[in-house]
Amino acid sequence: MGVTVLLPYQIPEGKTGAQAIDYLTKRLLALGAIHTGQFLVDCETYISTPQHGPAKTVHVLHDSEYPASTFSILDNGAGKQIPLVADNLFDLLMLKMTSVYTSKKQTKIESKGARFEYGDFLIKLGSVTMMENFKGILIEIEYRPCVVLSYCWEMIRETLQGFLGMPIAKEYPAYFSQQIMNTMGQQQIHTKQNEVYEPIDTINQYLESFTNYRKQNVLPVAGGATGGASSAQNAAANMQGGNQRMR
Amino acid sequence: MQMTQITNSKELLSTALQSRIIPNQEFLLQGSILDSAVDHLIHRLRGLCDTVDASPEQFHDLEVCLSLRQPTQTAPLMLRVRRALDRDSPFQLRYIGQPELDRSRPTLVRSSIDVGCTSTILDFLTELGCRLDFEYVSRGYIFRKGRMKITVSKIKAVPGKQQEIGSETVSQSYLVELSVLAPNGQDSIGDEMRIFAEQLKPLVQLEKIDYKRLGGLP
Repeated sequence: MGVTVLLPYQIPEGKTGAQAIDYLTKRLLALGAIHTGQFLVDCETYISTPQHGPAKTVHVLHDSEYPASTFSILDNGAGKQIPLVADNLFDLLMLKMTSVYTSKKQTKIESKGARFEYGDFLIKLGSVTMMENFKGILIEIEYRPCVVLSYCWEMIRETLQGFLGMPIAKEYPAYFSQQIMNTMGQQQIHTKQNEVYEPIDTINQYLESFTNYRKQNVLPVAGGATGGASSAQNAAANMQGGNQRMR
Repeated sequence: MQMTQITNSKELLSTALQSRIIPNQEFLLQGSILDSAVDHLIHRLRGLCDTVDASPEQFHDLEVCLSLRQPTQTAPLMLRVRRALDRDSPFQLRYIGQPELDRSRPTLVRSSIDVGCTSTILDFLTELGCRLDFEYVSRGYIFRKGRMKITVSKIKAVPGKQQEIGSETVSQSYLVELSVLAPNGQDSIGDEMRIFAEQLKPLVQLEKIDYKRLGGLP
């Protein structure tokens, strides 16, 4: 367990998603990173039924890095977010609540791809798909020996620049520069980058990115198909298989 | 991690459900014993249960019962949150279904989902729309025999927030519970439990308790 930074990758002009993933994979392997399997982060969102008062949203996420846990973030619609980490049987409990909280199936989104180990770093190249449509690339980089971002951001930044081949801003990523609220709702003097990092922080970053991808809504179908190419389509095909089995 | 394709969590869950490895059924027998006789029972249990040599394990929990009203169903969804007061351990969230009081079965059987979780759970459930029904403190001893769990505990009311937690006892007895959490289709455990319950007679009479007949509860 270390500090993780999640970065949306801007796909270079004229390249498809799969080509971009290919390019990044080659660069990582050339650096000496070792391919260590696959990873998957998925997110499903449940919304309360209108009879139940003001709309509330529950985001349920899974991360293959923490296979025994289910992460949930409840948004009460009034700006309050409550995170919950639970055993993965929590999914069964969500199913019990279907009459109050219904899943918005069309916004089920996931990031899936290869996982690499590179010395003290763990790097994941994820293709984001929503409803079989390719949405973009998310790069996850974790520096494992440290739990406070401000102590290791420079190192993470350097490594990112190394394998992306492009400059990364010196400032801490937006997620880490937010002010921490304490339990009394007062702002504390320090920001997230000085806090001890926890797995829920990774989940929060994914949720932020997923929400952004969901907002840039309905891409033209053709764009989805060409951009998706092989890996994303595979992911989509698997997802569909999974759904069928669930039914 | 293996190089194989990674499976979706939903898929994993349905596979686990199909292969019946998720413990989602609780088999339960309950009884009570007067304070004055509880030492005899503890002594008996120490002899019968696993880890005879160690002194019985103690627990001190706060249990909060909440319910979520469901528009389409008559019965609300009942949830319980358990929190250890004597040690730092994860909170426990429990869903308990309606009990099946099948006469042919030796124990009460109800569906149950036990989930360990973070301390944000009470806040989470409250914002989710759950209402607090009641809460209590239970303090006592826990024994194990194979996969059976036996608890002997004193139920106490939660006093006003200013007072020390767990000082008002509800009755002059201890609650005795014998339970097993098992996956679907392992009904033979009921007989095992009945045999064990026989061995505790006449100190305590463990029975299937029908809450509906006690009244006052939904």
